[in-house]
Amino acid sequence: MKRFECEIFAVICAASSLLLATRIFAEEDSGNWLKSVSHVPFEYNAEDTYVGGGDVQRGPNKDVRDFDENDSIVHFVFTPRTKFGVLRIGADWERFSFGLPDHAALPDTLQSVSLVMGLDMQFSDSIIVRAEGQPGVYDTEFDNLGYDNFNLPFLIGGTYIYSPSLQLVLGVSVDIERKYPVIPVAGFRWKIAPEWLLEAVLPTPRLQYEMNKDLSVYVGANVKQTSYRVDDDFGTTNGIPRLNHAILTYSEVRTGAGLDWKISHVLTATGEVGYQPYRNFDFYRSDVRYHQDGGAPYGMISLHGAF
Amino acid sequence: MLLMKIKMLNLRRCSSVRAGGLLLLLLVSRIGLTTARADAISDLASFSIFDKVDLAQLAKSEVKTAHGPPMSNPRFLAVQSCYVATGSSPAQQIQALRQWDATRHRELKVFLHSDLPSNPTPANFDKLKSAPGNSSVRSFVAETQKMGSGLQISKEEAKKFSPGAGGGGGTVPAAVVAFWADVLTARTKSFVSGGMSAQPPYDHAGPSVRAGDEVNGLLREQGKIRSQFSALLGATGIGRGAGSLKPELYWELLEADDQGIITLGASYSRSGAGGTYQAADVLYYASGGYYVALTLYQLWPVTVDGKPSTLVWRGDMISAASLATLHGVERLGSESVMMKNITKAVTFFRRDTSGGR
Repeated sequence: MKRFECEIFAVICAASSLLLATRIFAEEDSGNWLKSVSHVPFEYNAEDTYVGGGDVQRGPNKDVRDFDENDSIVHFVFTPRTKFGVLRIGADWERFSFGLPDHAALPDTLQSVSLVMGLDMQFSDSIIVRAEGQPGVYDTEFDNLGYDNFNLPFLIGGTYIYSPSLQLVLGVSVDIERKYPVIPVAGFRWKIAPEWLLEAVLPTPRLQYEMNKDLSVYVGANVKQTSYRVDDDFGTTNGIPRLNHAILTYSEVRTGAGLDWKISHVLTATGEVGYQPYRNFDFYRSDVRYHQDGGAPYGMISLHGAF
Repeated sequence: MLLMKIKMLNLRRCSSVRAGGLLLLLLVSRIGLTTARADAISDLASFSIFDKVDLAQLAKSEVKTAHGPPMSNPRFLAVQSCYVATGSSPAQQIQALRQWDATRHRELKVFLHSDLPSNPTPANFDKLKSAPGNSSVRSFVAETQKMGSGLQISKEEAKKFSPGAGGGGGTVPAAVVAFWADVLTARTKSFVSGGMSAQPPYDHAGPSVRAGDEVNGLLREQGKIRSQFSALLGATGIGRGAGSLKPELYWELLEADDQGIITLGASYSRSGAGGTYQAADVLYYASGGYYVALTLYQLWPVTVDGKPSTLVWRGDMISAASLATLHGVERLGSESVMMKNITKAVTFFRRDTSGGR
């Protein structure tokens, strides 16, 4: 699933605008349904992941060794209730920074900033559908933006509530800049026992054990795949001119174990450590691909919650 | 997710499927033989979220459910439903409700049900000794034995627990039975004498919460419903002192949020003008899971396919601490589960009371 990116300042500005827009929507278009709602609920996430030295390789002879990674995310979404469902209006920023050696034909920064525009709809007592798009800019350094840095990945997914313990999920993720533009997703969420929960749904499948009402531990994975456009002279600078202004699909998989600590009703802290077994930089339209040649350990911390 | 207390009114499915050749007859019957008193339909639209109801269509379908309007208190959740009980009058519906036994259906997870007299003694809770030995009941026993923070009792009540009191084995030890029998007896008596306002607070392991305040909050946020039922509610002990109407009292052991809980309930009903009925069923005490749950019923006599029938509106509302932690799609999911539970219970009720139709 794509994440948004930009400078924090831009996120704050966007969030402020969206709050205003949400209030206007609530007042003007939702009639009595929102009359009793005195505040606009929202959810947030601030997350940082450090991945240790890993390796990638292109062909038999070209490799990039021992480079680390930092992945930062800020995510903020208003979730007001309307007659049609739960609106999801917000912003998201994500930035990958790679500690690459000189002359590596890879960008040392990938970042995006986007809006979150979605709706959760209750079609019946058994079916909930989410439609969500993330229009935004998916680039490297944001220093030479053009219209083709804009992208609109979106997803449509439905949850079938078979029972309180078992829900089935079916959906599709669409990104026209991705190597495979349409990716179907299926999974399930199964509360095996009061303390055990299995969420077999991408992009973050996990098996969770609730130690008490404030503390849970889990094992799981995080699958990331986002497309970015590199600079106009990126290829020339790195000796591969066909990579100028090219699309790069970056993918990685993290597997690890973590701990969720519910500090309060509105704040949860998460810590996770694990191993990154898969990473891929794919300029698929230019037929240049750096694939994983050596995994790396990682650690992640995040603060998240909802009001 | 929350398991709502399930009690409902009897209804019989309307005759439905006709052969293609009878389409014209069906059309005629819908137009000519389905009559809803204008005040029933308009009355339903005036206070509920069902502002457009096709009675003939409703009579042919299962229960229709929808979430209530959002409320500012995050602990609150409401679901409304309506259906037609064909071939049965409102009075018969009320009678069937009184007699229906939810414990026959394991899926509803009501393990024990017992009616209570207006002046109960601890012996009225002896049935607790025969509770099933499932994980929910075991967790209820464990929580009681350690006087855990999940227990919704008062500080004074918590002091009365003595782990060593009494002997005996079984799923529910004698000390646990004795403790709850005393607590529930006292709470029932205080309800009979002083309504919900006389109930001790839940303050054993957290901020003080009063079930009476919660139910008043639920009604305050649903002004039209409160107005519709003001006369009935004013005569009950729901959210206030003891009313003039005599309640039918009961206690149950059921499952909520995967935990066994003990709950105390009271049902009220009375007839109105034109053969209508109103009923209220309140769970005014729960040992965990939710603070309070209230179900209101409005019943109108209607005619469907020439048969005397009943249009039933049901409003389920609940206050629970766990609901306050749900946001966005999680809350939608919680509402969906509540609606499914209500639909499931109606289906069981129909099966039990209409010969499996």
